[in-house]
This record gives sequence, structure tokens and C-alpha cells, in this order.
Amino acid sequence: MSIEVLLVEDSPGDVRLTQEAFRDANRSIKLHIASDGIEAMAFLRREGSHAHAPRPDFILLDLNLPRMDGREVLATIKADESLKTIPTIVLTTSEAEADILKSYELQANCYLCKPVQLDDFESVVRSINDFWLTKAKLPHKLRIP
Amino acid sequence: MKANVPDRIAPGAITAPQAREAAKKYLSQMEGRYRALLEAAPDAMVVVNQGGLIVLVNAQAETQFGYRRDELLGRKVTEIIPDGFAERLIADDLRSAADALAQQIGTGIELVALRKDGSAFPIELMLSPLESADGILVTAAIRNISVRKAAERHLAQMEGRYRGLLEAAPDAMVVVDQGGRIVLLNAQAETQFGYRRDELLGQRVTNIIPEGFAERLIADDLRSAADALAQQIGTGIELTALRKDGSEFPIELMLSPLESAGGILVTAAIRNISVRKAAERHLAQMEGRYRGLLEAAPDAMVVVDRDGRIVLLNAQAENQFGYRRDELLGQRVTSIIPEGFAERLIADDLRSAADALAQQIGTGIELTALRKDGSEFPIELMLSPLESAEGILVTAAIRNISVRKTVEKYLSQMEGRYRGLLEAAPDGMVVVDQGGRIVLLNAQAETQFGYRRDELLGQRVTNIIPEGFAERLIADDLRSAADALAQQIGTGIELTALRKDGSEFPIELMLSPLESAGGILVTAAIRNISVRKAAERHLAQMEGRYRGLLEAAPDAMVVVDRDGRIVLLNAQAENQFGYRRDELLGQRVTSIIPEGFAERLIADDLRSAADALAQQIGTGIELTALRKDGSEFPIELMLSPLESAEGILVTAAIRNISVRKAAEKQLAQMESRYRGLLEAAPDAMVVVNKDRVIVLLNAQAETQFGYRRDELLGQAVTNIIPEGFAERLIADDLRSAADALAQQIGTGIELTALRKDGSEFPIELMLSPLASAEGVLVTAAIRNISVRKAAEQQLAAKVAELNRSNLELSQFAYIASHDLQEPLRMVASYTQLLSRRYKGKLDADADEFIGFAVDGASRMQRLIQDLLAFSQVGTKGKDLIDASSEEALKQALRNLQAAIAQSGAVVTHDGLPNVLADEGQLTALFQNLIGNAIKYQSPGTPMVTVSAVRNAEKKWLFSVQDNGLGIEPKYFEVIFGMFQRLHKRNEFAGTGIGLAICKKIVERHGGTISVESEPGRGSIFRFALAGSNGNPRISAKDN
Repeated sequence: MSIEVLLVEDSPGDVRLTQEAFRDANRSIKLHIASDGIEAMAFLRREGSHAHAPRPDFILLDLNLPRMDGREVLATIKADESLKTIPTIVLTTSEAEADILKSYELQANCYLCKPVQLDDFESVVRSINDFWLTKAKLPHKLRIP
Repeated sequence: MKANVPDRIAPGAITAPQAREAAKKYLSQMEGRYRALLEAAPDAMVVVNQGGLIVLVNAQAETQFGYRRDELLGRKVTEIIPDGFAERLIADDLRSAADALAQQIGTGIELVALRKDGSAFPIELMLSPLESADGILVTAAIRNISVRKAAERHLAQMEGRYRGLLEAAPDAMVVVDQGGRIVLLNAQAETQFGYRRDELLGQRVTNIIPEGFAERLIADDLRSAADALAQQIGTGIELTALRKDGSEFPIELMLSPLESAGGILVTAAIRNISVRKAAERHLAQMEGRYRGLLEAAPDAMVVVDRDGRIVLLNAQAENQFGYRRDELLGQRVTSIIPEGFAERLIADDLRSAADALAQQIGTGIELTALRKDGSEFPIELMLSPLESAEGILVTAAIRNISVRKTVEKYLSQMEGRYRGLLEAAPDGMVVVDQGGRIVLLNAQAETQFGYRRDELLGQRVTNIIPEGFAERLIADDLRSAADALAQQIGTGIELTALRKDGSEFPIELMLSPLESAGGILVTAAIRNISVRKAAERHLAQMEGRYRGLLEAAPDAMVVVDRDGRIVLLNAQAENQFGYRRDELLGQRVTSIIPEGFAERLIADDLRSAADALAQQIGTGIELTALRKDGSEFPIELMLSPLESAEGILVTAAIRNISVRKAAEKQLAQMESRYRGLLEAAPDAMVVVNKDRVIVLLNAQAETQFGYRRDELLGQAVTNIIPEGFAERLIADDLRSAADALAQQIGTGIELTALRKDGSEFPIELMLSPLASAEGVLVTAAIRNISVRKAAEQQLAAKVAELNRSNLELSQFAYIASHDLQEPLRMVASYTQLLSRRYKGKLDADADEFIGFAVDGASRMQRLIQDLLAFSQVGTKGKDLIDASSEEALKQALRNLQAAIAQSGAVVTHDGLPNVLADEGQLTALFQNLIGNAIKYQSPGTPMVTVSAVRNAEKKWLFSVQDNGLGIEPKYFEVIFGMFQRLHKRNEFAGTGIGLAICKKIVERHGGTISVESEPGRGSIFRFALAGSNGNPRISAKDN
């Protein structure tokens, strides 16, 4: 069974890197991409072109997004009864203490920094896979009629 | 009735029948006459037989006794004449017939008869015998003598009274017969004429009244009896009478005829009119005087008759009412006194004549009188009754009381004022009667004693002034009223007064007598002298202190009399001048103050006592004094006048001013130096008094402010320093003088000063207090800090510029490195991916190219990381707190674990202190230095030692010593620069920013980093950090 992961990331380069890293880590992961917050919400709510979008098993969220930034997306997800149970991991370049605190305040499930080095980046992705998608238990999907 | 009755007829003597017939006829004739006579008799006739039975009565008897004839006949006569008849008979029997015949009615016996109805009446009984055939009968003529009895009684009464009157008459009464002889006289006549009665009886009246009597008689004869009877004493003729002793006296003779059996007698009433004559003369005299008095009476006198008409008036009445006498006489009194007169009369009628007469002018009724011209005026009316021949007249004394009314009004006004004065008097006023009782008091007395007025009136004065009042009265009695009135409050007697609540207070009592209608009253003025008493006590106390002060005074005190002689001095004077007290007393003051004292006195005379007293030591005149031993010393003399019983004395306070003189000299010297300093001071100096007015300034002040000296003196300091001076003063008040004096220019307050031309310049103001005679002055040192301000501003601007620049740089460095990370990450990542995925899949050039790209990207990443780290030393630096440098070192070693293990380096350290540091940065510092030490190793085992020692500045000087390659001295500075490397990339890794970061960290911590090294002999990197010593946080300087 595939694992649906929503990656909310505006940098195409980072997107590809992440895809490559997850592919290496776990082939059953199906990575969905939303390049900004609006698209992310539309995907999650299955609006518009995302009407048939699957419900992700967890979300990887970059903070610095155009239009609707990651913090707002996080807040929205965690305020939404039907979405807040989806584990949301902040994956961002920012090491700012303020961002870390804010994210956890907004009920992020985890905060990870994107390492600058490729190897380190790949290692982090593997860790995500190991921990969140393998060891941690995720809530069952809710079938929405 | 004379009855021709024959002589006694003998019983039984009968004559011849003829004779008997004649006798019978005669008898019957006589009997008829007799019966007629009997019946006609005015008196009651009753014939009684020997048995006492009534045998015959007449009608009059019936009437008298109230019986019918038939009722009387045969009755015993004693039934109608109870007693006496028989006796009369007996009496009559003893009389001879002759006597009986001779007896008249009127000389019979008086008896009491009894009527039928039982009532009695007096009778006169006349009996005569009547011979009859039946024997002797008794004829009783009974006359009712009631009237006569009454008349006789009355006559007897009158006679008695008459005699009594006659005897008692004040006048001599003499009855003279037709022969002019005195037939009757009374006792008064005896007295008047000096004769005994028997000497005068029978005398000719002319013996006592020589002339005029006869004439009087004649005169009287011409008068009718009626006239004579009507005449009274008082309207008789005046004659001269002659006493027995030959002396004469005037008489008034009043005659009246008196019919008597002996013919017309003349009753003469003789009044000795000596007294009356005298009285008449006196009366005439008095009458003259009286009329004079009446006329002269100050009051209008008006006599009014029963009808209210004026019958008499005096000249004053004419004046008062403006009428002529004849105009008022006969007028109704209501013309002049419209109302009240009648009422007054009525009122007066209720008073006895005695009261009326006793009344004086002044207690009459007040009415309004009306003048002829119609004007009115107030009068007082006094009435008294006056008996006169015309009846009761009313004498009215009329006093024009206009003046008195005015006076009364005035008096009541004065009384009102007096009462007002009494009430308003500051002292308690109490009037006491002779019994010692309070009869009057004022409000102040109420207040003083705490009583209400009614509570004190009638009280004994001893209730409020227990003792001393009576004694005072006695004392006062010894003084004349003049003295009493002349005495003032202040010289009275001091006593103790008692309030209602029982509390006492001292008083001064002043008494003066007050004559009143109620006798002598005593007016007491009572002054509460509590305050004065207290003042006196205080004064005595002060006097004691004063004497004490005099003796204790630091200055010599000398009192001098008018002649310039010393009369009093204190101990200090003895000391100063070296004399004993007794040696100086009486001496001329010039012995001790040779010159100037007199002049001073003269000068002082020109000053008022007030000024003299107000002067203090310090402003007196300076003179030279002379000691006993001849030595001189400078003094300051202060004089004040002293009033005493002996006249004006002069108190001299003498201060030895030797010391002060010396001080003054010194002061003058200092003053000139000071002035020199002031003028020479580089700063503007301005002295300001407590009113913030400039009292002194120096040349610099003139220059600074652009004023001339005289333009600034007297100006308010706010004219040159608008704001802040006062605030500074206030601030300075909080500092002690010591602090103020210690303060230097440079720590004053910065204010804005104003030049004369209106331009402003910044100043620094330094204030210090300056004690002076005028109080505390403030010395202001004013430094023009325009230049300094400009420099400060410039500096501030530069610093701001630098700060901004630094900030920009910091931000730039951060932003740059941070934002560069992202694209660089892409490049590095993808080149690595490329390398990974396509290595060996493309040609060798491609591999090499990719390799360089990857390498380049990696390097760039590292550079940017280092740059970021470098910039973060400042931007992410934390406050310096108490940090364990040992812990930082240990963390650094942990971080270097891999490198240490790989190189086999041995790192040792001493016990490292706590320092004020950002522990993270300290770790980074150690990590860099030790990392370098390991990296730039010589062959062999790298040895690194970390230690710390205290340096001269009490900081911890850390040393990181290694046995590495060492550094050439020419590079000592350079190596701390950014990205400076001394080795090739392929020799040693690293960006070359490590030491720059170390330097930045150390400098952030307030220290400097240095290196001591020799190539081949290792290096020692040193840096100093402040010990924490438990100090609280200190923010590091950002740079």
C-alpha cells in the first residue's frame, strides 16, 4: 500500500531533491506536491482540480511559501477538524528559534531543518521515513463519502 | 275760771226751803255754767269723789284718755292716773284754799296718765276741792303736758346747750338789758375782760365797751329781728374793748335781740380780734405777697371754678398762653388745656385735700396746652382744690415742660448712651447699693463672672468679690468724690473674683460713688487682670532672665547716665577693661572709652528709639577703648536708650573687636585675591542671590553674554539662563555644601544661555553655595560648551553613522550568508547528485568538470557557513553571564572528539575559572583554537594546553598553547583577518575564518586576542576575559 505524502514546497530544486531522497528511502511513498499554501489547502480539501486527491498520510511543510506561507498552512490544517490528525512535519531551512517555537505552538508534529549538504539531507529524509512512516503509528485513513 | 264759789259749806247745814229753792236754782244755774265751762275747758276735767272714783268727766278727758264718758264714770281715778293723785291730794290738803285758788295751771304737779290703750302721757294735775252734797269732791284739771314736757325737755336741753355754748363760746358773750346793764355773761367774757362774773353782772356794758355799743344798738334797732338773727360773727362792728386792768383790745361786736320776760335783751357776742387783726394785717400782707408770688410764679397759675371756667390767673399764664388776663378770665379752661384737665380733676377728686396740697410740681400729669396763636406746647399740670366762698375752686399750676421734655428726651438719649457705654465697657461694671447688693450691671460683668444679669441683680457683691470690696469702700470713703472720679483703671486695688462656676480670677477694682434718689450707690469697674498678672509674672521672670543675660552677655554691657557716668555694668565689662565693678561704677565712661562715646550719643539721639533698639552688634561705631593697665583695644559700640525712673539712661554694648579687626584685614586681603581669581577665571562667574538676581559677575561673564557689567548686575539670572537655573538650584539644595564645593566643572548641568543679542549658546552650569551676610548666594560657574557640544554632536553623528554601518554590515552579512545558502544548496546538492548518478556514465571530462563544480559548491557552502558563523557572533551573541570556561572547553573538546581521536592529540588544561561570557561563543572560541592547534600540527603528537591566569587588570588571561607548526611574526596580525590563510587549500582545510571568528568573539567579550609563536615551536594564543566574580549580567558591546 502506498503512503501518500503531501510535500508543500515552492523550490523546484528542493522538490526534486526531496523526491529523489524519498525514492531512495522508500519506494512505496507517493509524493504529492503543492507549491504554495493555497494549492496545499485545495489539495487537502479536495477542491477544484484536486477533487480526487487522496488524503495524505502526512505532510511535509516548508515555512517560507509564497501566497499563503507555511505557518498559516500549518495553523489552518491544525484548526481543521478533518485535517488536524494528519501528522505535519515542518521541513525548512530556517533554524530560527522563533520559527521552531511558532511551529510547535501551531501544533506541528515535528520540526526539521534542511541540511545544506546533500548527504545530510538524504539522511534526514531517511530518518523521516524510518521514524514517521515505519516506526510511528499513523491514524487510519478516513474514508470520505 | 274763777268760780265764784261760796265759802265752805258745812255738811248738813240746810236752810229754809226757800233758801233751798234759791240755792237749787242758783246751783242749777251754776251747774249749767259750770258744765259749760267744764265741757269747754281745754284741759281734761275729772271730778273725783272721796272714794277716788271718777264722778264727772268732760269731753277733753274722753279725748285725752281715750275712754268714753260712761267708761270713765265710776272708774277709779288711779286707773288713769296711777300714781300721785292721792299724794297730790294730800299735798293739796295741806294747802289752804287760798293757796289752792292762788294756784294756777302751770304750777301743778306733774304726773303720768294712762290712756285706755295702755299708753302713758305726762300730765299736769291741778286739783281743787269742790264741796258738794255728796261731800268733798276733787276737781282735777288735767293738762296733757306732752308737748310742754317735750318743749320743757327741749328747752332744758337747749338751755343746757345754750349755757354750754355760751360758756364754751370762744367769744365773750354778754347779755345786756334795756338799761344797758349786763345781766348774763360767759366765762370767756370773764377771761377777755379780766373780771369775775359777779363783778360784771349788773355793770353797765359801757364799762367794758366804752363806745359804740349804744350806737350799735341803735343801728341794730333799725334792723329787723330777722336780720339780726341772720347776722353772723364776722360781719359785726369793730370796736375797742377795755379790760379791767385798763388795757384795750380790739373787738368785733355782734348783737342780737333776745326777747325775754324781762323785756328785750341784747345778746352781744364779743370777739377779741387782736389776733385776727394781726392776722388781717398779716393776711393783707400775705395777700399782697401771695398775689405777688402768684404773679411772680414761674409757672402759670390758673384757678378754675366748678364749671371749668378760669376765675383767676397770673402773669405767667398770660405769657404762657399768649392771652391777656381779661381774655382768659371767664374762659373755659379747655380753651387752653383741651384735654386732660377734667380727667385730672376727677383723678384729683379721688385724692384727699391733704394729698393734693402735698403734691409738688414734678409729679403732675403731662398734657398738651394750646396757645392763643394755636401752637401747642407740653405742660405738666398740678391741681389743688381751693375752698372758697364760691365753692371748691381748682388751682392749676401749669408748667411749660418743653424744655424739660427736651431735657427728658436728651436725658433718655443720654441714658440710652450711658447704658450703651455701660454695656459696651470693656470692664465689668457693677453698681452696688448701701446694703452691698448689686443693683446694676453690664454685659461684660455677666461674661466675666459667668452669671446671667438676673442672677446677679440683688445679690450681695461679696458673692462675686468675696474679700476686699468692703475694705475698698472704706478706703474710698476716705477719699473725696473728686479723687474717686479722678482715679483711673490701673491704680485700683487687686482682688480675687469668683465666677459662677467657682473658678477664681484676679481683678482690679475701681470704685466711685454715685448719688441717686436711692442714696449713695457705688459704681465698681472690674477689670479682669489675669492677662496682666500673667504679664507681670512674665515680666518679673524676664527681668530675672534679663539680669542673667546681662551678666552672661558675651559683650561688655555698661549703662551710662545723663552725666556720662557708669551706673551699671556686667562681669564681661570688668574683664574687658580690667577693672573691678566698684572701680567703674560712678566713673565717667570716658575713662574707658576716651573718644567717640559722646559723639555716638549725639548721633544716636538723632535716631528714634525704635531704630536704636533694632540695631545689632555689627553695625555700631568703631572706637578705641582703654584698659585699666593703659593698653588699648578696638571696640564696637552699640548704644540704646533705656527709660528709667532716673531718666534716660544709655545702655552700651561694647564688643572687643581685636580679633575681628584682624579677621577683617585678612578678609580684605582674601577678598582682593578672590576678586582677582574671579576676574581671571576662564569661565564666566556669576553670583546670584536668593531672589535669583545677579549680584556679582566677572569679565568673562561680560564677554560670554555680551553685556556690560552694569547691565547684568541686578538682572534676574533667568535673563541670561532662561531655564534650568532654578531647577539646578533645587537639585543643588539637596547636596551638602561639601559636595557642592567638591564638584568640578565637567559634571554640571547643561543648559541654554541667552546673549544680549538674543542668540543662544550651550553652557555647562556649576553651582556652589556661598554664605554671605545677605544670606546664601549661589556662585555659578558658566562654561561655554559650544565647541564641545559641536564636537560631541560630530562624534555622536559619527558613532551613529558607524553604528548604522555596522548594523547594515551585520545584517548584510547575515542576510547574504543566509540567503545565499539556498541557491548554493541547490547547486551543491545537484552537482553531487550529478556526480553520484552520472559518475562513470559520462566521459572523464564530464567527471572532472562535475568534480570541480561539486568541489566549488562545497567550498562555497563552507565559506558561507563560516561567514554566517562570523556574522552570528554579533547578531546571535548572547549577554555575557557567569559562565564556566571549563565547561565551554569541555564542550569544545566533545565537538572535536573525532578530530582529537583521529590525530591522537592530547589536550590538557588547568582548572579554568568562571568568566563573564557567552558560553556558546566561548565554546566556539576554544573549538577553533584547539581545532587549529590540532590541525596545524607538527609531526608527533599534538599537545595542547589550556590555562588561565589573572592579569594586571584583574581579568583572566587564557592561553591555548600548542606544539604545532608555529606562525611567522609577520603574519601575527593577518591571521586574524577574514578568510586569511597561510596555507594552501590542499595542505590544510579550512576557510581561514576561524581566527577571525575567535577575534570577534574575544572582542565581543571586551578583550583582545594575541598570538605568540615561533615557526616550528608552536604557538600560544592568548586572550583575556573578565572574571565573573558572581557579577550580574552585563550586556556585551555590539560591534
